[in-house]
This record gives sequence, C-alpha cells and structure tokens, in this order.
Amino acid sequence: MAAVISASMLSKHYGDLKAVDQVSLEVEEGSLFGLLGPNGSGKTTMIRMLTGQVRPTSGSGSVLGIDVIAHPVRVRQQIGIIPEQEAPPSFLTAEEYLAFVGKVRNIPAAKEKADWWFEFLEFPEKRDVLCKDLSRGTRQKLMFAQAFLHHPVLALIDEPLINFDPVMQKTVKGYLKEFVRDGGTVFLSTHILEIAEEICSEVAIIHHGRLVHTGPVAGILGQQKHLADFFLEVVGKGTHA
Amino acid sequence: MRELFCAMMKEEWRLHATMFGSLSFALFPVLIGAITFMGSLILPFLGEIIPGQTLSFLVHAQFLLLGVMVGGFGLLGQEVMNRRFGQASLLAYSSRTLPLSDRSIFAVFVVKDTVYYVILWVLPFIAGITLAAPWSGLSLPFIGTIALTLTLSFLTGLAAIFLLSTLYARSMLLLAGVLAAGALLSALLLATTNLDPVLFFPPYALSRSFTFPLLLYSLTVIAVPFALAILFMTTEFPGREKHIPDRFSPLAGRLGRLRSGPMVAKDLLDLRRSGGLVGQTLFSFALPLALIWVTLVVLARVLPDTLILITFAGVAGIIGATIYTWVTEFDSIATYTFLPLGTPDLIRSKLTSFLLLQPLTMLAVLAGAIASGEYGSFLPAAVLALSVSVYAASVMVWLTGLWPAVMVYDVRVLAASMLLIGPVLLGLIGAASISVLYAFGSALLLVPAFLFIQWSYRRWETWEKAFY
Repeated sequence: MAAVISASMLSKHYGDLKAVDQVSLEVEEGSLFGLLGPNGSGKTTMIRMLTGQVRPTSGSGSVLGIDVIAHPVRVRQQIGIIPEQEAPPSFLTAEEYLAFVGKVRNIPAAKEKADWWFEFLEFPEKRDVLCKDLSRGTRQKLMFAQAFLHHPVLALIDEPLINFDPVMQKTVKGYLKEFVRDGGTVFLSTHILEIAEEICSEVAIIHHGRLVHTGPVAGILGQQKHLADFFLEVVGKGTHA
Repeated sequence: MRELFCAMMKEEWRLHATMFGSLSFALFPVLIGAITFMGSLILPFLGEIIPGQTLSFLVHAQFLLLGVMVGGFGLLGQEVMNRRFGQASLLAYSSRTLPLSDRSIFAVFVVKDTVYYVILWVLPFIAGITLAAPWSGLSLPFIGTIALTLTLSFLTGLAAIFLLSTLYARSMLLLAGVLAAGALLSALLLATTNLDPVLFFPPYALSRSFTFPLLLYSLTVIAVPFALAILFMTTEFPGREKHIPDRFSPLAGRLGRLRSGPMVAKDLLDLRRSGGLVGQTLFSFALPLALIWVTLVVLARVLPDTLILITFAGVAGIIGATIYTWVTEFDSIATYTFLPLGTPDLIRSKLTSFLLLQPLTMLAVLAGAIASGEYGSFLPAAVLALSVSVYAASVMVWLTGLWPAVMVYDVRVLAASMLLIGPVLLGLIGAASISVLYAFGSALLLVPAFLFIQWSYRRWETWEKAFY
C-alpha cells in the first residue's frame, strides 16, 4: 500500500511552545488512521500542518504525493477536511453553504450530492435555515457533509463525532468504515478512545507535541488491553480505572 | 465587578497587542499625541482663517463621531454582535457561564469601553494639545475645559450608539420610532421656542460657556442613554428559525463570470442579512461624509477658493476605501482555511466585493455635485473619488491584508498609511485647484494600486493569523 500522508520531522513552534516537535509518520492508503492524544498535545496543529492551514516551523510533509508546504491549496483541493472548531458561515443557509462549497470546489451536480447528504444525515428540514440558527450538532452534520461533498480519496477530520448523539455517531462511524472499504483513507484526530478502538485500523499517540507511539490497533487489543489502558500507560498516567 | 473590569481591560489590550505586538500598539496613543501636537502648533495660523468656535465645534464633532464609531459595531445588527462575541469568546458574552447577569456584564463592558478608548484616543489628544500650549497660545484652563468636554463628546456618541443598538436589538421598528420621535421633537422645539440649537450638542455648549447646570445637563444626556441601554439590553437572541429560499445559487450564477463569484455572492448575502450593509452605509459612510460636507461648507465661507466638490470627492474616496473593512470585518476567515482557497484568493474576492460596492462612493459625489451645484466638476470629481478609493484600499490591503479594522491600531500601519495616502490626496486636490481637469490625472493612481495589490498577495500568502 502506498503512503497517502507522509510527514518527516514536522515541527510547529509558537515562540517557546513546541506545539508539534519533530513528528514523522506515514499513513497508508485505505486505512482509518487515528491520531490520539490528550488535550493540547498537538493533534489539531498536526492536522492543520498536514492540510496546509499552518506552515510548519521545520520538517516536510506530503499528502497524496503533493508537497503540502509548497502547494497547500492543491492539497486542500484533493482532500476533505473537518476542522475542530470552525463553524459554517452564519448568514448562509445550510443549503446555500453546500452550494458555496460546491462552487468553490467546482463539484459537478453539487445540488444532488447535497440533497443526498441532507437525507443521509437526517436534516432535510434544516436545509433552508441560516447556519447561525442551527444547533451545534446540525452544524457538525453540515461540516461533515461539506468535507465529503466532492468524494475525496482522503479525509482529515478533527473530532468529527463530538457533537453527535449516539444514533448519529453510529451512522457516521458506519459511513467512515464504508468510505475506507471503498478505497478511501481517513485521518481521524480524537481523544475519544472508544471510537478510535472501534473504527481505527492504526493509531498514533502524540503527547507534548512528540509522537510516542504508532502501530496497529489490533496489536494493542491482542495484548488483552483496551486502547484506553494502553493510552494511559503511554502518556504516563498509570492504569485506566 | 472590579475583577471583571480588569479582566475586560486586559482582554481588550491583549486582543490588540496579540495582533501586532505590544510595543506597536502601545505606541498608537503616542502617535495620536504627536499628530495633535503638530496640529496644535499651526493653530495660531489656522485661527486667522477659521474662527476658533468653528474649529472647536469640528473637534467636538469628531470626538462625538469617534464615540459613535467605537460603539457602532452594536448597530450592525444583533446577529453580528452575537457573532463577534461568540466567535471571539469575549468576557462580554460570559453571562451563561459566570454567576453574573447580562446587565451587569454589559454595564462593566460600557465602563471598560469608556476607560479604554479615553486612554487610547482622548488622553493622547489632550496631551498633544497641552504639550503644544506654549506655542499655540491655548491657556491651561481652556485645555482643562476641553479635556472635559471632548471626553463628554466621546461619551455622548458612545452612549447614543449603545442606546440605539439596544433598541435595534429589540426591534427595528422601535429604533425607527424613537429616531423619528426624536427628530420630530427637535424640529418642534426649534420651531416653537427660542432654544439655542447648540444645546442639542451639550459638550460643545459646555465648552463655549462652562456652567454647572450645563455640566449636569451634559452628564444627563450621557447617563440616561447608558442607563436605558443597560436596562433594556439583551443578549438573548431567540432561535427564530427562519426558512429562507436559496438566494446564493442565483446570485453566484449572475456573478459567474467573476473569478471570485461564489465568495462575492457570499459577501453580499452576508452584508445584507447581517444588517451590516445598512448599518455601515449609515454610520460609517453617510454620517462621516455629511460631517465632512458641513465642514467644507463652513470652510468655504472663510476660504472662498475652496473647491468644495473636489475636496469632498477626495475625502469621499478615503471613506469609500473603508468599504474594504465592511467586507472583511465580520467575516471569519477561519471558515475558508479548510477549503481550497489561498489568502490571495480571499483578498481578490474581498477586493471584488469592495469594487462592487463603489457605486456608493459615486452616489456620495453625485449628492455633493447636486448640493453644491458644481455639475461641471462632477466627472473629474467622480474619477478622483474612485481612484483615491481604489488606491487607499490597495494601500490598506498591502498594509493589513484581510484584517484592516483591527490592524489600523498598529502604529506602524497607521503611520505608513498616512504617509502613503495623505500627501497623494493633498497633491491631487492642490493640482485640481489649478485646473479641475487635473483631477482626471488621479486615474494614474490605479498603477500603484495594482502594484500594491500584487505585492499584498505575496506579502500575506504565508502570514498566519494569530487571532480569531
């Protein structure tokens, strides 16, 4: 399998703060890769560097074979991104926002694709409501839809399930598994370890900006351990209660 | 409450200091003081051509306007107020998490705005005048009086705008009703009594003749709107779930030939739906221009050679350039960073939106031509206004990228923009005073404007926004 994401000694420093420090990793095509870490460990910064939203202080990275530092817009053209915090624009309706994304990404038949997402994520009645009036969960559905609207081969998603109820979490997890079965690749950042254990094939753990573990989830579960226990051992917090 | 006040002051300071460094921001009041100092030095000469009372009125009016502008964001619409506070996570929006009521937080917010901006703008102005006193001939008691009355002017603008924005947040109709009633009452008073019109602007009246009843009246005009604003303010924006048909797709289709069509369509919908277009046009465009017009008419009485329309067009161009801030100020750039768009794409789209709104500048010049009767000068004046507007906006883009409204407080940005725009504007008005036709020469400004825009693409492409 070819590597669709490749990072080599990637670092991002903000003054004295080393948000990410010399991280190297590779993500293979067709995997559901989980980047795990405590709050403030550097997960979001890592995703932002890999999607060309921030420039690394040092190191290099390529996504789908494209140098992310030299060609960040080309990278974003190819992939889908769900950012951790950003919400859709307040004064467009949900339908208008997906039309906007469709235009910016030059997606053919964007309206039909948007219609499918409204039905699939069960919010067709909200399509003509301004984004500012949508609930947090509905906005998250919209952000999910925009990331996959153009059928990318790779999606980098930051805490995509955090605002969903259990029913919607199940729907979305099912979609991600199917997406990977169909040949797509997902790079998922989360600190909800149960989700990572359930759907990820491989995980990396980042702590204080440094990569402290990388390997298949099956290997961890094979040691009769839950991912949560393993995670707590790795980040030095003892055994999970 | 003291802790909240201190925290809000720190928050406001850090918001500005984070953007362009503590030192640059700390030097901003120094620059204001220096400009005032130099301006005060020419007072003896200026006083010979413009009556002192007129100058005093203009300065008081400017401080009133400053208060309006500082407090004005609230009038841009409750949604925008909500959006600004919500996205920035400011303390002003923390009533949901702190054991404090909305009103008490808003009251502290008002006090914070007052103290913060008096320190930032009013005190440096007074310091500049005071330092120049030995040369300007202004007496210290007079300076003491105008220190008070200018502060009151600023607060009058701030209080009025807070009240109006509170009314607007409650109901557009209520705001319109109060404004109409106020205008009607004023007209009635003027028509039926011998009321001195200057009393409608109490701080200025106080600067003309200081009396304690007048001081009390002036303070009341500030305290009552503040109190009403605090009493009736609301941050509860009920989830009125309006269902709106898709306006984006047809608009983006009409703008399809433009490279930035979808972004421009989004900008235009954003401005209309947020209430920003009406608010900004009224308070950031029409009001300052009306004030400039009055100033020029006054000036023309003492300087008959003043080219009212050409000068007005030049200033209209500068104010027209601030339309660029309308399309950038309340748009969260973060919402684009995960799309395949680079900073140059965003700058290009914002400039396109800016150009599409330039008919407003043309309308202002047309109104000036009609009011002055200088129809023959309309065409060169219009070319001048548009060229100056595009040039000033390009300088703004080069200096501030996508964040003009906040980066203007960087002393280097302010100084650079004044140096790059001020002499050019004066030169053009000077040339037009020889022959109005020279105003057509302003079209040459489009060349440096083009270059500034090209440079700005490169300059801001790799710049990372350190704020929300």
